[in-house]
Amino acid sequence: MKQTLTKAFSNPLALIGFFIIATIMLLALFAPLIAPYDPDAIDVKAILLSPSAVHYMGTDGLGRDVFSRMLFGARISLLVGIVAVGIATAIGVVLGAIAGYYRGWVDVFIMRTVDVMLSIPTFFLILAVIAFLTPSIWNIMIVIGLTSWMGVTRLVRAEFLSLRNREFVMASQTLGARDARLIFTHLLPNSLTPVIVSSVLGVASAVLVESGLSFLGLGVQAPQASWGNILTDGKEYIQFAWWLSLFPGLAILITVLGYNLLGEGLRDVFDPRTSKNKL
Amino acid sequence: MIKYLLKRLFWMVPLLVGISLISFLIMHLAPGDITTTEAGFNPKASQESRQKLREMYNLDKPLLVQYGLWLERMSTLDFGRSFASHQRPVFWEVTDDKGNVTPGLIQEALPITLLINMLSLGLIIIVALPLGIISALTQNRLPDRSITLFVFIGFAIPGFWLALILMYWTGVVHDWLPISGLHSLGFERMPWWGQMLDSMRHLALPVFVSALSGLAGISLFVRNGMLEVLHQDFVTTARAKGLPESAVVFRHALRNALLPLITLLGLAIPGLIGGSVIAESIFAIPGMGKLFYDAVLMRDFPVIMGILTIGSALTLLGNLLADLAYAWADPRIRRGVMQ
Repeated sequence: MKQTLTKAFSNPLALIGFFIIATIMLLALFAPLIAPYDPDAIDVKAILLSPSAVHYMGTDGLGRDVFSRMLFGARISLLVGIVAVGIATAIGVVLGAIAGYYRGWVDVFIMRTVDVMLSIPTFFLILAVIAFLTPSIWNIMIVIGLTSWMGVTRLVRAEFLSLRNREFVMASQTLGARDARLIFTHLLPNSLTPVIVSSVLGVASAVLVESGLSFLGLGVQAPQASWGNILTDGKEYIQFAWWLSLFPGLAILITVLGYNLLGEGLRDVFDPRTSKNKL
Repeated sequence: MIKYLLKRLFWMVPLLVGISLISFLIMHLAPGDITTTEAGFNPKASQESRQKLREMYNLDKPLLVQYGLWLERMSTLDFGRSFASHQRPVFWEVTDDKGNVTPGLIQEALPITLLINMLSLGLIIIVALPLGIISALTQNRLPDRSITLFVFIGFAIPGFWLALILMYWTGVVHDWLPISGLHSLGFERMPWWGQMLDSMRHLALPVFVSALSGLAGISLFVRNGMLEVLHQDFVTTARAKGLPESAVVFRHALRNALLPLITLLGLAIPGLIGGSVIAESIFAIPGMGKLFYDAVLMRDFPVIMGILTIGSALTLLGNLLADLAYAWADPRIRRGVMQ
């Protein structure tokens, strides 16, 4: 473990990604302390001011401070991304473990369900569910989670299938270990590395989906700030207020880039095949 | 090959049933029944249209019967009529007693989205292949590094933001490209080449925006595939027997690296179809994505269910075509299936 961590920190991609994510997380965590204004405070005397020393990122159409809204928006983006991926990973690990361990008809049933879910265009599915429920931050997390567990299921199942016949597992089974012991002490810990990589990459796409939904007006609802819905305002004022479009877009770009770099970096660290190429 | 095709077609049946089950379940997600939800969101929904909805989905019958009836309607591609859009048929045109033809919503929107997706796929292949190959051949040197940077940014850039910036830059600041719709005014009076040019100018931005993330993914994929193949023994053999480098790269390595790409392009289809929502609603293009977005905003349930089902069926079809292409291109697969 210590060795892996040292390796992870010597990988430049992973390191850059880690610092980007850590910075954004700290900003989001301490948003109430850093934000110079109340993110929802409307000030009619300060409408659409361009960035200055008073308002670092300018103000929006209602005179709200964009920098403060961006900080609170970071909380939403990170929260949605992480909770959604948490849900997806939990479902994926459980189903993948069941399919890979018990095989037989359970496996067939679970994997067919995965195929079905993969053939419904995800963004359509998410929008359809949102249409029947009401858009709110909780519904969005759940919906993104429920529509993105298929990759993890496949990964965990594949790992279980290959580990199941390895000698150390056979040995443990011969010694009389029960299913639960085999699964939790031998199979699961050894199949987690690809899951970690895919979860980190999953947060990146969940952040993109959330901001897309919020941009379309079907995600986080005003007055709660999210990067996506600040951009919706930016679209209205694009001719007079470039700062309303520039900053949230950049924030999404940098966050997603950070998660992708971290994920790809970790993949390099964990995968002996790619690291062999580098030596 | 025919046996393989039949086998694949047979496997599509349980998938279609599964898709229908999931769309059916989504309809029942709404608290209460959908008629009350719809009424809550759409004050214009009259008692009469609510009754129609109840009849259409047989909401008064037991759940299992409802599902059976829904399956039966789906198998005849009957998706009913839209609540909004003047009660137009959701899927295909309908001729009434007087012989007036009302075109279907999906019937009109589908070709537009298919055209955009085909062009995007074309663009992805044309740009991503050379990028991936160059990247692999210059591994860890400057061209590879810059292409990899481009790939990561392509992955991370939000499509709707890019669309906004491009719209602003090319349509508002400079008057280079039209920023919305499919045709300019007076399209009908243009000569055919003028129409072609006009359509191309309108489609340039949406096609580019919907192609970008796929483009990044495919270049990375081609790069990694090439690197893997270039390290294999048969490539070393080809080099050892003195073949020119171009023959080694293009005839031996590339052909093998490209095989998995066929499957990947098939898998990219749901992403492209889903992604059309953002590109089409920003550029106001009347395709499936815009139709779906408008339907979601108006809680137009028959249209939502129709597009969900047709979109999934298209994805299945795309995957089938990809698998067939793979079997056609790679004799090993064909033989494996025959045995």
